[in-house]
Order: sequence, then structure tokens, then C-alpha cells
Amino acid sequence: MSEGIWLWLTLLAIGSTTVLTRGSFILLGEKGRLPPALQRALRYAPAAALSALVVPDLLIDGGEVSPFNPKLAAGLVVIAVALRWRNPWLPFLLGMGLLLLMRKGLGW
Amino acid sequence: MESAFRRGAREGLRDFLPLSVGLVPWAMVTGIAMRSIGLSPLEAMGMNVLVYAGTAQLGTLPLIASGAPLWLIFATAMVLNLRFVIFSAALAPVFHGHPLMRRLASSYLLVDGLFAVGADKLIKADDPHWRWGYYIAPSVYCWLVWQCCTLVGVLGASVMPRDWSLEFMTTIALTVMVIPMLRERPMWLAALVGGLGAVLLRDLPLRMGLIVGIALGIGAGFLAERALSGRAPR
Repeated sequence: MSEGIWLWLTLLAIGSTTVLTRGSFILLGEKGRLPPALQRALRYAPAAALSALVVPDLLIDGGEVSPFNPKLAAGLVVIAVALRWRNPWLPFLLGMGLLLLMRKGLGW
Repeated sequence: MESAFRRGAREGLRDFLPLSVGLVPWAMVTGIAMRSIGLSPLEAMGMNVLVYAGTAQLGTLPLIASGAPLWLIFATAMVLNLRFVIFSAALAPVFHGHPLMRRLASSYLLVDGLFAVGADKLIKADDPHWRWGYYIAPSVYCWLVWQCCTLVGVLGASVMPRDWSLEFMTTIALTVMVIPMLRERPMWLAALVGGLGAVLLRDLPLRMGLIVGIALGIGAGFLAERALSGRAPR
């Protein structure tokens, strides 16, 4: 992880995307218009990006693709819980509880 | 006689209030997650103020932790925030004629929840003072709730044991975020291709696999939407 000034520059760079995207058209005024095809394609960005971040984290354990690992097991429970109940705390409590149980309790 | 600004502000707050309760767990989890990768409380709150976008914050944490190159962190944050371009385009007429500083502040404060709750009324309302009140009051309130609850998480993380795999909170949060998006089939495909693409391409140089995976996912979703709408009866 970068430290000190580099970390702050990294945080500033991430923050700049907040204003660049949210401000894009609000700052431009009504001069710009978003092409409809691009607008439809952009709808898929969050789902594709979130999944691209999460799936490797769940599937890869110790550098290898592994269909049996504690993170994936806990992740599947999180998905099931989030699909079934609307309580926002539950996926975190059960997911973390299960991961800790498997890692600490069972030494997996 | 109450001013239009105050009437707008009151109505905006009333509409947004129920939703703001849902922010609390997210803000606390984000606070804990930022500390779990080793950010100090000051750095964590600095990130929270500078970025003020939960998805981009949580999504870039694993990349910051693993020492990913700056361009990759920037590009990932950009993709995670791209949906705001759509919101910004929709709301632009609302801020027509407002001074630049006001539009800048409004841009920084634009969040999903507020757009979901208020976009309709904002676009339809005629009185610019009412609109400004309706937008800015709940926006500032939302910012305060987010910062305060994140601070609770940031400080709370200090008393949690170091070896509790707290970084997994980030994975849980991102998983829970993606689930409600998967109602339509093209969305499913975008997520599937994005996720598997990132796994299969993970050995590409410069960690390009993540960005290429995301691009493939967006393309897959877009093409699936076109294919499905082409088949549907008109």
C-alpha cells in the first residue's frame, strides 16, 4: 500500500471521479446530451464492475481458483441471506460469523 | 409567508428521511472496511470526505491494499461512478442558470438515494427556489449522516481484533450491492461476464484483467439487451 503523500494523491484521484461523473452534465449545463446508446450501455457498468471485483475475491484462494474455500462458502451464504431478507445488518453478521467460524473454529 | 426555498427544503427532507435510515449500516461498514486495509482514522475520514461515494470507496479499497497502480485505481473508481453521468444528465436542467459554485457543490453531493427519491419532483417543479431547497437540504443532511456514521465505524474498528479478517466486510458489501441489480437478464450477463472475465484474465500484465473484464461485461449486457428487445413482439 502506498503511504503518506502518495496515499493522499490516490484518494484525491478517486475523489476526482466523484465530481467528474456527478458534475459531468450539471457543470456543462444544457450544452451536452448523452447519446441514448451510450446511456443504455452505461447502465451495465456498476453490475459488471462490482462483479469483477467480487468474483475473483470469492473464487481465488491463495493464488489459485478454488471452488471450495471459506470465503466462497461465506459469500454464498451472504447471497442467500440478501436474497431472502431485507435486513441490512444480517449479511454482514452471518457472513463474518461464518468466515470466522470456519477460519478460527475449524482452522480452514 | 414561508419562502419557496424553505417549503422545498421541508418537503425534500420529508421525502428523504425514511431512506436515510438505510445509510447507517453502510456508512459504518465503510468506516470499518477503510480501517481494515490499514488506513489511519484521519486517512479514512479524509477518503470519506474527498470521495463521498460508498461504492467507489469500497471498490477501490482492495486495490489500494494490494498496491495496484494509480491508473487502475482511478479507472476502477471511474467505472464504479459512471452511473452518475446518467443522473447528472437527467438533473442538468434543474440547475440551469445556477452559479458555478452551487452547481459544483450540487455535483459533489449527488447520491443514488436522493436521485431515486427526488429526481421526478425536481424535474417537474417550476420554481427554481423551491427546487434548490428540495435538492440541497436533504443532500446536506445525507452528507452529515454519512460522515457521522462512518466516523462511528472508523473509531469502532479500533477496538475490533486485528485478526478477524475484517477486509471480508468489503467483499460482503460489494456482493450485497450487486444483488438487487440482477433483476433483468442482461444485467445478469453483464455481471457474469465481468466476474468470470476478471478471474480468467487475472494474469494479464498491469492488472489489465479487471478493466478488460468490466468492459467485456458492459458489452455483453448491452448486446444481450439489444438481442432480447429485437426478439420481443412490438
